[in-house]
Amino acid sequence: MDYTPKNKHDKQKMFDVLGIKSEEDLFDSIPVESRAKPLNVSGGHTEQELLEHFKNIAAKNKTLVSFRGAGIYDHYIPSLVGEITSRSEFWTAYTPYQAEASQGTLQAIFEYQSMICALTGMDVSNASLYDGATAAAEAALLALRVSGRKKILVSSGLNPEYIKTLKTYLQNFDAKIVLLDLSPNGTVEKATVDASSDGDTAAVIVQSPNYFGIVEDMQGLSETAKEKNALFTAVVNPVSLGVFQAPGEYGADIAVGEGQPLGIPLSAGGATFGFMAVRKGLEWKMPGRIVGQTTDKNGKRGFVLTLQSREQHIRREKATSNICTNASLNALAACVYMSGWGNGGFKKLAETNISKASYAFGKIKNIDGFKAKFEHSVFFNEFVIETAKDIKKINKALIKNAFLGPLDLSGSGKQFKNCMLFCVTEQRTKGEIDKLVEILAKV
Amino acid sequence: MEKLLNELSSQSGFAYDIKCDVEADFSIPENLKRKSDLGLPGIAENDLLRHFTNLSRKNYALSTVFYPLGSCTMKYNPLINERIAKYDAFNSIHPCQPAETMQGILEIMHGLEKDLCEISGMDNFSLQPAAGAHGEFTGLLIIAAHFRSIKQKRTKIIVPDSAHGTNPASAAFAGFEIVPLKSEPDGSIDVSKLKEVLTNEVAAIMLTVPNTLGVFESKMREIAKAVHENGSLLYYDGANLNALMGFARPGDLGFDVMHINLHKTFSTPHGGGGPGSGPVGVKSFLERFLPVPRVEKKNKKYVLNYKKTKSIGAVKSFFGNFPVILRAYAYIKALGGNGLKNASAQAVLNANYMLAKFKDKINVPAGTRCMHEFVLSPKAALGGGVRTLDVAKRLLDYGYYAPTVYFPLIVEEAVMIEPTETESKETLDKFIETLNKIILEESVNEPQKVKDAPSNTPVTRLNEVEAARNPILKWKNR
Repeated sequence: MDYTPKNKHDKQKMFDVLGIKSEEDLFDSIPVESRAKPLNVSGGHTEQELLEHFKNIAAKNKTLVSFRGAGIYDHYIPSLVGEITSRSEFWTAYTPYQAEASQGTLQAIFEYQSMICALTGMDVSNASLYDGATAAAEAALLALRVSGRKKILVSSGLNPEYIKTLKTYLQNFDAKIVLLDLSPNGTVEKATVDASSDGDTAAVIVQSPNYFGIVEDMQGLSETAKEKNALFTAVVNPVSLGVFQAPGEYGADIAVGEGQPLGIPLSAGGATFGFMAVRKGLEWKMPGRIVGQTTDKNGKRGFVLTLQSREQHIRREKATSNICTNASLNALAACVYMSGWGNGGFKKLAETNISKASYAFGKIKNIDGFKAKFEHSVFFNEFVIETAKDIKKINKALIKNAFLGPLDLSGSGKQFKNCMLFCVTEQRTKGEIDKLVEILAKV
Repeated sequence: MEKLLNELSSQSGFAYDIKCDVEADFSIPENLKRKSDLGLPGIAENDLLRHFTNLSRKNYALSTVFYPLGSCTMKYNPLINERIAKYDAFNSIHPCQPAETMQGILEIMHGLEKDLCEISGMDNFSLQPAAGAHGEFTGLLIIAAHFRSIKQKRTKIIVPDSAHGTNPASAAFAGFEIVPLKSEPDGSIDVSKLKEVLTNEVAAIMLTVPNTLGVFESKMREIAKAVHENGSLLYYDGANLNALMGFARPGDLGFDVMHINLHKTFSTPHGGGGPGSGPVGVKSFLERFLPVPRVEKKNKKYVLNYKKTKSIGAVKSFFGNFPVILRAYAYIKALGGNGLKNASAQAVLNANYMLAKFKDKINVPAGTRCMHEFVLSPKAALGGGVRTLDVAKRLLDYGYYAPTVYFPLIVEEAVMIEPTETESKETLDKFIETLNKIILEESVNEPQKVKDAPSNTPVTRLNEVEAARNPILKWKNR
């Protein structure tokens, strides 16, 4: 199958118009010595063969009942989300350059921006970035641009994938990343931010709930950052905002995060999307596409890509970012996801995550050989448990029962020796949690 | 006019509900609680379904119209790939699962890397970058790391003025200084002009082949020789790879680093602007700088290797945009080596056929033959003060998406057309007839009609100036 037209008569007519004998004649401009040998690429399969082939490959993956999060979360995805994103009018369109012929995508993204602003309490959202990690890196670059300063303070509670990405993004810049240690409570202390920041600090980046599940005192940290005139950047789980303080409430300058919890499947960690929202005044420095409302010649409301003079296709090397293609279809999925809960439902969703995680936390910490790492911390849907038992063995036992167990935190530094990170979302049933506890008790 | 969600919402309904089957005590300190209203709409599923379905009908899409958007390769997105991508055993895999429980995912990534190497002539690929520009950025970081490792201070990247805007933006983003290079009227590179700017500070030159005017760089060997003799590297922008599959390989042409847009050449859907995927390929001497993790095969098992000390690091979380990678791999397995070559052959045939039908009437700055796309400059043919933008808008009235316009920047009033291989002669003929009619007849006889276009679309010409002057970037009454 190669999806090309098969009408030989038509092809001959085209050859006649061009005065050629075959398509090969059109490749004259490629010197003979530069021509490729026949490609050694297997394929040429029919649809049925492909289905069979990929079914066999898919069977080599194991779908597991997940008690693991660490940045990618197993949330329920309502049927409506898949129905809308499966509409070919959305998924086969491209970037809405011709606004008049792209009002569907443009209005949906405008609604997406509106709801990201609503959730985060921020003033302006862009149309999406690649993922949470690149969104955090872009936030750091934005802060460097705006402040003209050189130092980025980063909480050690930021997802390690994000820290890695941030380091990669900044490796050729005259900028310094300073990691802020966590206190014995697993949180960033105001005093740590205060002691590490100075007149050269462009941004303070703090994740809440942090990588270890703990909700940070963002209000206090934000105030401390402001005292130093640094941009306070909040990395947040959007679902947690149904219950916890929003970045806009504690005066964040930039809010970013991983959008995957908003209706995107796990998909081995990608494709997801990243969101970014800023306070008023920073929109002209923001990376990525932005949709704005305007009117047509008859005064009718419509939507266009706007503030485009920030972007690479206009500004080239002076653009605020090189981003072009972003993650539009996933932003659409998030738009449909956010629109269907209502205020009460979204709050209930967040509370259900806390309830189920609390239920599991209460049970697990009381098993012999397990204890809470941070007994009195406030968490959303993840928590750390310390154990004297072999974590690898625990996870093997769980896999045997088709459970994906907690993340082994032995790679997260001395503070987390013998620790593991559990995640319990609204997806996990009481039965599954009880079963988890039962298996853990037996290891 | 489709209402906005906040106008539909009376907070009287909702589409999704949830039950909690456990009882647990938890208390949240007041200072951590959200105080402000969530500000989300409350709408029943029935109404939401109508809302979003009606919105979808306001889009022109590849599934409804011909989409000759130059440089974007809007080829048919096979449905079988969508079906495969919806398999639960691909969708429900957590990235932190043990490698032995996601052998299928890793097999596909490994397989695609191998096929991309064969198609492009490069030695290794990383599938981590999430889009073309992200791939460019990754490739440029690799170039920077290479020169750091051999202790050479090279701070500049040469970018022709015919290049995509992402090239200079990515180079600046990677910390380089840009040296613009004036290209010839057909977008090609004059080797002597290149040599003038090729100093020992130049790390690399970024080239698009065929270039953005649809012309193959015939002096490629000389360019590669000059660049390499200068100790610099050659970067290949894969945006136009659809012209070359099975005919020429960037690796054989002398390129050291490249990216591929899977959402262009390898048929994955554009999704209204992503998610895409921009794998980066390198010659073996640069392999150690590729992003981590690397997918490797050991004792018949696939593993993830994070221990690459020279790697530039990670450019995003985890492995890459897997669902896009999967679709591209399914596409390659549908076509095979011969099918890929036939795709490029037909893409070039379609473009040349269209060009032949325009060339006697409308100015073509790059000559009468092209590769997979071509650029018209209709300035002289247009009457009545009609501009290219008006022509683009008028095409919407006839049920076509518009070609790329005003790019490349070196062509006045540019109209850039890329038909791709999946369109029939019949479709091309109708489009040719329409575009000729707008430019040669309507602009002369009824210029106002063209300037007032579009009129058959869900909205008429939108005021972009007003949108930027008084930005309204979210619902007003929230």
